[in-house]
Amino acid sequence: MKGFYVAPYLSILIFIVIGIGLVLFTFFLARLIRPSHPYPAKTINYECAELPIGDSWIQFNPRFYIFALIFVIFDVEAVFLFPWAVAFGQLGLYALIEMVIFILILFYGLYYAWKQGVLKWV
Amino acid sequence: MFYYLALAALLFSIGLYGVLTRRNIIGILMSLELMFNAANINFVTFNKFVITDGMTGQVFALFVIAVAAAEAVVGLAIVLLVYRNWQGIKTDYINVMKW
Amino acid sequence: MDFQLPDYNLRLMLPEIFLFLWALVVITFDVVTKRKSESAAGYLSLLGLLITGGILSFTGYGRGFGTMFFSDPMALFFKVIFLGSAFMAIGSSFGITKQKIVNHRGEFFGLILFSTVGMMFLASSQELLSLYIGLELTTIPLFVLAGFFKDNKLSVEAAMKYFIIGAFSSALLIYGISFLYGLSGTTDILQMKINLAITHLTFKNIGVTLLLSIILVIAGIGFKLSLPPFHQWTPDVYEGSPTPIAAFLSVGSKAAGLVAFAKIFVNGLSAFYGPEMLPNDWGKLVATLAVLAMIIGNTVAIRQTNIKRMLAYSSIAQVGYIMIGMVAMNELGLSSVAFYAFAYMFANMGAFAVVAIFEDKTGLTQISSYAGLSKSSPLLAASMAVFLLSLAGIPPLAGFMAKYYVFAAAIKTAGSSASSSWLYWLVGVGMLTAVFSLYYYANVIKEMYFSKETSPYRVKFSAPALMVVCLGLIGVFLLGLYPEPIMRFASDISASFGFIPN
Repeated sequence: MKGFYVAPYLSILIFIVIGIGLVLFTFFLARLIRPSHPYPAKTINYECAELPIGDSWIQFNPRFYIFALIFVIFDVEAVFLFPWAVAFGQLGLYALIEMVIFILILFYGLYYAWKQGVLKWV
Repeated sequence: MFYYLALAALLFSIGLYGVLTRRNIIGILMSLELMFNAANINFVTFNKFVITDGMTGQVFALFVIAVAAAEAVVGLAIVLLVYRNWQGIKTDYINVMKW
Repeated sequence: MDFQLPDYNLRLMLPEIFLFLWALVVITFDVVTKRKSESAAGYLSLLGLLITGGILSFTGYGRGFGTMFFSDPMALFFKVIFLGSAFMAIGSSFGITKQKIVNHRGEFFGLILFSTVGMMFLASSQELLSLYIGLELTTIPLFVLAGFFKDNKLSVEAAMKYFIIGAFSSALLIYGISFLYGLSGTTDILQMKINLAITHLTFKNIGVTLLLSIILVIAGIGFKLSLPPFHQWTPDVYEGSPTPIAAFLSVGSKAAGLVAFAKIFVNGLSAFYGPEMLPNDWGKLVATLAVLAMIIGNTVAIRQTNIKRMLAYSSIAQVGYIMIGMVAMNELGLSSVAFYAFAYMFANMGAFAVVAIFEDKTGLTQISSYAGLSKSSPLLAASMAVFLLSLAGIPPLAGFMAKYYVFAAAIKTAGSSASSSWLYWLVGVGMLTAVFSLYYYANVIKEMYFSKETSPYRVKFSAPALMVVCLGLIGVFLLGLYPEPIMRFASDISASFGFIPN
């Protein structure tokens, strides 16, 4: 049983090793061949030949944050839909009603967020 | 089965270590998620190898996922509050109260 | 796959369903009325709690959802405690919602109700999955409530600490539960009890894994109960969060932790109690933590200057006393735990209510600011004194009877066999620390009554606050003077756990 589960991963392991090795090898090769002339302009971020303005670490608008939070919670609730869908054939009407109640409660959450004005992009 | 349990134990230990040593609140949150997922792996593993009749372990894992998501959302909202009050999210700031 | 639909028996779940919907109604009401009315949402939620209590008294015993939902004496008793503590918490938060929480009154009350629903589910669960969900439903709203003052650094800090600790402890708990599931092959607690005992008898070597899961589960629940060494968050969170929420945390959330503990250990792992079960004997482990709780709680409380922190340490000590009843494991044990929780609810919620009323008026929580309060507002000072004396365990108040029952339960077990005579030590430590505790409770009373100056603050009761304080006083005196009816009801709990009185 042990070998059965581990064996398929051996090929993956070989692939990973070869993949990493290939990349490292080409980098090493390039390092051998290329000339080395560092000067300051080379270290600047490339922005279509314009000089970059400000830091590349910018703060995102906090509104994104709230959208992300709402998304996460509704996204993960979908986890309950999958087993329900699989077992729906055996469960019948009762499960349908239950799921409708569940979705309604989720919708209430959406309604609440809407009323709070969270969904508006001001 | 041993491998799965070992993986779970490893994840749990990494998470535990992260929670106890991280100085960044987001880092702590990520470590917490690791711990929850370690428990999930345990549940699914036990369901597959030990208790083969029934789906309780898998259902349990689903519920844990949902709970962890709810917890993460509340945690991130609190992180936002911390950021507003201290302009940063290091745990070092949060030491107003001491015994 | 062929599914057999279990008998749902939704009738039993009616109180929870109603309260959940009512919480939605409270929030919606506040949103729809554009948050105009100052205290309507609060009165609405008080009404909801009363109706839920009414429904609860009609539901009766039984089981639903297969084995997932039990309505037994324990569930019923603790549901009353949860509803009562939510009632008193909401009643004492009218001042805060008038002054500080202008925009989110509905959410404030609604989240308290959600948390109460979680506790009620927890009390009814006889199954690890629903127990875990109930525990999470209890805690997650409390994270939000602890940080309800969004611009107050103390409150946000409290929320942050409580969140990290709460999530951490639930991760420990779920990891421990996953091992219990793996070892026993079931999440049904009654089935787990049988399976684990059989496994133990046949293989004799489930030692280490079971020990690991016992430790993880104790740590997970210990954080919720603030049982040392998992108690450090308690004073900080109580100090920072809004006072009624601190009260709710100290009673409701703690009682929920007690229920979870009783269900997993006293019921599910009852086979692993006693010295012959080493290393899996959880009794001595918990007893050690209880001793730590009583000593740390009572000694550190002495040097506190903030009354909320003092009450936090006092609550740590109280959990230590409750745990004595938990490890007694006889027909008195769980009943005394339930009785203690009930008495503790009245006294502690009352004391926190007085603190909240005083804080609404003055904004102060220092013990020294209570100086001379008996002259300016005698009723407030008198009720505070009664609550504190009850917490200290002075007869004829409720706290005395509660401590008496807990100690009696432990002594009864200790006398039954030589191997459990260590319980005498536990009781000894309990009595000794109870004497210590009198010192810091009396310190507040001394400030209020024997200070030379007269307090500059004249504190008046608002109607709901007066109701809460009166309820607390009635409870404290009633349970102290006439405990028999409650105790008779509580003794059903032990019987339903299989401890038959002889």
